[in-house]
Amino acid sequence: MIGEWTPLIAGLEFSILPQQLANGILLGSIYALIALGYTMVYGVLRLINFAHGEVFMLGAYTALLVSWKLGFTQENVAQHPDINGSILTLVLLLFCSMAVCGIVGVVIELLAYRPMRNQPRIAALITAIGVSLFLQYSGQLFLPNSPPPSINQKVNPIQGATNIPLRKASAETLNNVSTTTAAYEAAKAAFDAQLPNEESRFQLSPTGQALKETMDEANRARTDAEATANSERVEIILPNGQIVMFFSAIALMVGLHFLVNHTKIGRGMRAASHDFDTASLMGINVNRIVTFTFFIGSALAGAGAMMNATFLGTPLTTFYGVVPGVKAFVAAVLGGIGNIRGALLGGLLMGLAEALVAWAGYANMRDAIAFLILIFVLLFKPGGLLGSAAVEKV
Amino acid sequence: MTWKQVLLPLSASVIAGAIIAGCTPSTPAEDSTTGGTSTTGTTSTSGSTGESTSARPAPKGGPVAIEGNEIKLGLVVSRGGDLRPWGVDCENGANLAMSELEGGKIGDYSVKLMIQDSNSNPAEGKSAAGKLVNDGASVLIGEVASGITATMAEVSMDTGVPIVAVGATRTDLSQKVNNFFRVCYTDAFQGPVMANFAYFDLGLRKVALVTDKSQPYSTGLSDSFRQIFTKLGGEIVDEQFYQSKDTQFGAIVTNLKSSNPDGLFLSGYFNEVGPLARQLRDAGIKAPLMGGDGWDSAELISSGGDAIVGGYFCNHYNAEEDRPVVKSFLDAFKAKYSAPPATTMGALGYDATKLVLDALKRAIDTAKAENKPLDTLMITNAIENTENFNGVSGVITLKGQNGDPLKTALVVEVQKTGFKFAKSFKPEDIKGVD
Repeated sequence: MIGEWTPLIAGLEFSILPQQLANGILLGSIYALIALGYTMVYGVLRLINFAHGEVFMLGAYTALLVSWKLGFTQENVAQHPDINGSILTLVLLLFCSMAVCGIVGVVIELLAYRPMRNQPRIAALITAIGVSLFLQYSGQLFLPNSPPPSINQKVNPIQGATNIPLRKASAETLNNVSTTTAAYEAAKAAFDAQLPNEESRFQLSPTGQALKETMDEANRARTDAEATANSERVEIILPNGQIVMFFSAIALMVGLHFLVNHTKIGRGMRAASHDFDTASLMGINVNRIVTFTFFIGSALAGAGAMMNATFLGTPLTTFYGVVPGVKAFVAAVLGGIGNIRGALLGGLLMGLAEALVAWAGYANMRDAIAFLILIFVLLFKPGGLLGSAAVEKV
Repeated sequence: MTWKQVLLPLSASVIAGAIIAGCTPSTPAEDSTTGGTSTTGTTSTSGSTGESTSARPAPKGGPVAIEGNEIKLGLVVSRGGDLRPWGVDCENGANLAMSELEGGKIGDYSVKLMIQDSNSNPAEGKSAAGKLVNDGASVLIGEVASGITATMAEVSMDTGVPIVAVGATRTDLSQKVNNFFRVCYTDAFQGPVMANFAYFDLGLRKVALVTDKSQPYSTGLSDSFRQIFTKLGGEIVDEQFYQSKDTQFGAIVTNLKSSNPDGLFLSGYFNEVGPLARQLRDAGIKAPLMGGDGWDSAELISSGGDAIVGGYFCNHYNAEEDRPVVKSFLDAFKAKYSAPPATTMGALGYDATKLVLDALKRAIDTAKAENKPLDTLMITNAIENTENFNGVSGVITLKGQNGDPLKTALVVEVQKTGFKFAKSFKPEDIKGVD
């Protein structure tokens, strides 16, 4: 498809730039939340926890199974259309996901990584890949995945979108929109009145066909008018669910910042991260610190997973964590793995890069370009943007 | 791109579009008339195997004679990996078809179904097919997706063992070897069906495409939709891409919004289409949504929520049809597995297996009549000569079609509780294909 590249400048539509920046920040905040798990574990243990994406997947499944327990199965919702979730439902799902993920993270560390701690680092790394594959494939045996289930839309009471207008369409255009809309409504009413006389909407008599063509014509005039209005208008539309995701992610990250910098256990984490062996000689219970780090990192992934699965409604498979896991890992490396603020920065940069690449008309190369940025950053700053200068071989 | 346009009419008429992958607008009907081999020489009906009417290249290997009194069928399905939902349904459908074979025997032969897992992976699909052939399979059945089927067809090419694909709709697959058949229609059919539906029935003129770049199925379907829709006089105002497993579509949704389409064609699978539909509606895009058979799953309604209701897609059959074969299939499936098939591959896996069993019967009769040992070439010819096979997914005729059956496609509307029949398209109803 080499002949079909969109020229860079011709594809730029500046009226949607604000919206694309907003998209990038919303996307990046979730990357950042997952990236924190990688970065915290790496900071303390110098281990890349490749099973982190699978913890994310299990978090999404926890949210799903809890929502099913609460009655939000597809059949039940079909039978009881008035069933609706509340904020409390969401909070419950969030806490269940975070708790289960935290515990899973701790168990993985205990069973798979702790026995490997005094082995060469490559052994632990391969164990991590093994755990990741184990969870992906064994999960298919006991997790519902055929067909891939998704969390019902009814769980989420936060629907709709918030519209932030930056520039309004001209009065003349808006006037045109309402005239054509009225014309379309009239044509549609005429067609709908004819409909009971027809065999079906798609098997029309000549009369019905004529009415339908009038209606289609009016509809096209209406969409053209709306298109003009759209191109004059500059606005940012933020789905309410994603706004909640963004602020929850920020709140969790602020909480983590406080935990690491202003509590005793946080001081232990920083000490272990600085020098694991010396920290243990100074009377810090490093095993407890490691367990705690895994718990917190995995719980954050659980929070991200619950929000992703609930607000976006993605069907779940046991491979659900692969792509977010890889993207978040890249974000963590980009920001400087081991550095908590770096994870935030890396996540936001990844999100913005993806949105801007799509904006420039290269939507089909979004991932390629995001990874290209990573390669360039690492060429010039091997430790990542905020990472330590010391080069580590993993 | 220009060399393609020059070559296209030429190659379509000479070798039935064997080279141009997925772009030929030629229908199977046309292939048979321009294919070069006369079909008038064989006056056989569905009761005999006759000669091959195919104009496609012959396999390099084979024919393999069948020894003993057992015929083995080799099914390749995805028990693991991304395609598992379709794989499970396909396997269940095939097993159901086998269980309906009285005494497990055709004539003097007992028939056995061997199953191997492709793990949703083309390379593993090829080795699974190879293993089945080594174990004595005389017919291969599978896969549900085009990528894996393409590698399996290489095994058929090398060994002469015929293959009947279940859900591989990519157009170019059937042109490489003459022992390849399928029970589904091709993307060169369902793309035009949806283009016709969009242009004439929905009255759309400016459609945007959303393609899953990582799926050959999706790119092929988008191309065939584009080709016919522009030929009819419509305009493709934008094409945006995503990849399987993406969950956030904000960036492409914003781009789509700025191109102001009056309809959207989402050619990917339901896993992404559901969330994508939600995000399109959240962004204020109200244009109707359309898609191909990749939408077919009850999960689409759950993941797409209110956003996907009112969307249209092209399907192989509809559970609410009142053809007796559909009803008896669904009843038997529910009785055996306590739930209806979750995807359309239950019916297609069933049809593929049934069609093979039907052809085996005729091949055995021919072998007996001609007093020759049964071999894979006879079975290939028997499959090739299938006429008016009454499948769940419609009446299937393979004779003279170069492996791609002429079938009816159904456009269905997504509703809150299921899929409602909207309009059916026969190959001759399609405009803009010449």
